[in-house]
Amino acid sequence: MSESRLPLEKYTVLDLTRARAGPTAARVLADWGANVIAIEHPDRAGSDSSGFTGARSGPDFQNLHRNKRSLSLDMKKPEGHAAFMRLAEKADVVVENFRPDVKRRLKIDYDAVAKINPRIVYGSISGFGQDGPYSDRPGLDQIAQGMGGLMSITGLPGQGPVRVGIPITDLCAGMFLAQGILIALLERETTGKGRFVHTSLLEAMVFMLDFQGSRYLQRGEVPKQAGNNHPTGMPQGCYATTDDPIVIAAVGDNLFKRFCIAIGGEHMLAMPEFSGDKPRSDNRKQLDAEIETIIATKPSAYWIRLLNEAGVPCGPVNAMDQVFADEQVQHLNTVHHVDSKRLGRLAVIRQPVNIDGIDHSFRRASPDSGEHTDEVLMEFGMSSDDIGRLRAAGAI
Amino acid sequence: MSRLPLEGYVVIDLTRARAGPTTARVFADWGADVIQIGPPLNAGKKGGALTGSFDGSDYQNLHRNKRSLTLDLTTPEGHAIFMKLAAKADAIIENFRADVKHRLKIDYKTIAKINPRIVYGSISGFGQDGPYRDRPGVDQIAQGLAGLMSITGFPETGPVRVGIPVTDLCAGMFLAQGMFLALLDREKTGKGQWVHTSLLEAMTFMLDFQSARWLQDGEVAGQAGNDHPTGVPTSCYRTADQRMNVAASGDLYARLCHALGAPHLIEQAEYKTFKARSDNREQLNADIEAILITKPAAYWIEKLNEAGVPCGPVNSIDQVFEDPQVKHLNVVHYTDHPKAGRLGMVGQPITLSAAPQPETFRLHTPDPGEHSNEILAELGVSRDEIDRMREAKII
Repeated sequence: MSESRLPLEKYTVLDLTRARAGPTAARVLADWGANVIAIEHPDRAGSDSSGFTGARSGPDFQNLHRNKRSLSLDMKKPEGHAAFMRLAEKADVVVENFRPDVKRRLKIDYDAVAKINPRIVYGSISGFGQDGPYSDRPGLDQIAQGMGGLMSITGLPGQGPVRVGIPITDLCAGMFLAQGILIALLERETTGKGRFVHTSLLEAMVFMLDFQGSRYLQRGEVPKQAGNNHPTGMPQGCYATTDDPIVIAAVGDNLFKRFCIAIGGEHMLAMPEFSGDKPRSDNRKQLDAEIETIIATKPSAYWIRLLNEAGVPCGPVNAMDQVFADEQVQHLNTVHHVDSKRLGRLAVIRQPVNIDGIDHSFRRASPDSGEHTDEVLMEFGMSSDDIGRLRAAGAI
Repeated sequence: MSRLPLEGYVVIDLTRARAGPTTARVFADWGADVIQIGPPLNAGKKGGALTGSFDGSDYQNLHRNKRSLTLDLTTPEGHAIFMKLAAKADAIIENFRADVKHRLKIDYKTIAKINPRIVYGSISGFGQDGPYRDRPGVDQIAQGLAGLMSITGFPETGPVRVGIPVTDLCAGMFLAQGMFLALLDREKTGKGQWVHTSLLEAMTFMLDFQSARWLQDGEVAGQAGNDHPTGVPTSCYRTADQRMNVAASGDLYARLCHALGAPHLIEQAEYKTFKARSDNREQLNADIEAILITKPAAYWIEKLNEAGVPCGPVNSIDQVFEDPQVKHLNVVHYTDHPKAGRLGMVGQPITLSAAPQPETFRLHTPDPGEHSNEILAELGVSRDEIDRMREAKII
């Protein structure tokens, strides 16, 4: 049984975000039912350029900005600023990812908004932090991947640093900000007060280093590139079969034993080089060579079935079309559809969390810039005369 | 110490390995009373977790800020204690294989009968049901299955894994997000719910524009090495000393050319439009690198940032923590461990005004069962009963 009620229905969010990190946070709130109002400069109206993420009608923009409405507003004009403050007075959340000083220059920063609405939860993402030596630098995903160490631990040893094929620091910063906003909303239930919540691409990336960071912080080890092997646990890697490569993860004594028996490689169990986690990691080249000899004799589907039956984690290396053709991905119903007035039916990825009993199908396609300006302003109590004046002043 | 936003919430943590503990860590770091429940250890045996030894840096980093209770959930008495805890808790987090919680009779429906306010969070490898539900799931399997390895690295080297456990961490973060949504919803309805995600769903979501390209335009993204898959020029270039990233797609291109002292590249026919730059990407990268290679990275990082062109170093992990901005952001917090001494770990990456994360973690990572007596006493279990349960290896 599914309900159409979504958990964030009662919240109104003013979305000042651009590019990817900020919109990722806004998308969480939008997908879970909040009334998200994207505020965009009037210059954008009628243009198919999104400025940062390709064409407005392109797959990236359409995937990022679903489930929200768009209001055009020039906050640099006094009338536009006044209209923003009127919206902010009633809103629950503001999300922005300008460079740190922009919100203060526009006089729409947390302190300015909290004066008229102390319940506001104000979320910001920057490239490198709200202050500090790099706070004025332009920030962008790949810069943070390099600075945050990820590129030094991805790829094959000796081939030089390698970037990750998804905008991981943007996405993670967006998810962490959404998490912080939800925590602050939860706390507001007890305190009645909002908060300024912020993160950055750099903080998100450093956090995501996880055990690779703690190896250094607690043991002084500088992790290096480990190619397709797990940096510390073996055997884990990507192995060639008679057709496509597969990933196998058989770390730890129990799994290693099951794995050896399943593939008919019992002789490895008797070898002192492979007895214990540390020897297996130290002798990883030799271990991989033993495994490859066996795995290379049969096709990928054979091994995937056999090893999973034996309880050894194993799976394919899917290309993008194969991902969405995969039977489990299809079962999970990860792709939802949304109807765009201009672009027709579009496939987009739903949020990856399931709240049992809640059907989170999409309500709206990504809006055209300013598509809902009149509708939104009226909901905030403006008359058609007020709206006419704003339009005449070029503020919307 | 300032008040933390999740103070007052009680969370039962049944998690192991990495994805589930990542969720529990969010709750623990933000002030919830997180009670870790693990099986009783064989006395005298130096145990370990799926993430290495209990004393290792990985385990210590994952499980800070929580208390630990050992409990054998397969015994009737152990199960009864668990239900007593669950009756008072706000949330339960688990990442067993999908069927285990049902077998142990600690699944959402069972708990909701005695505590309808419970928010129950689950992570599995591939989903709570479906054709792969019984498969063992770990991070790298999900990296391969969900396509990440097919779009990372250089075409000539074959698929490449990412050097962090990205699907574990993301599934953990998404579950925390879902649990906060459910806790907010509970404020309105008075009722909890079951929240779940999987490594596979998390990774598929993280594909972001790479999947949208396929789903909406039928484009199968390939490996793009260090070039941004769609933005040009964006790559990792050699300089006179070390490599650096430069990202100058769109309007930034002209700024980059000026900063490089190569304004002629702006008007050059092969690079005049975005499409031309994209079509002639290799040649453009070579032209840019020919200039960058004449000076060291530090020179260019200062010069390009002044011009507003995103750029930066490719830090190794030690350089990351020596970086002046990383230091400024105070990302490393410490805990004083009774055996290991002072341990550095990365704190949560978000800042909440007026609720700064404590400089030192409230609690060090516990040894298994370190707080069993204390937690059971809070439940009203007598000293004698505790001793008896310990003897019977229930705790």
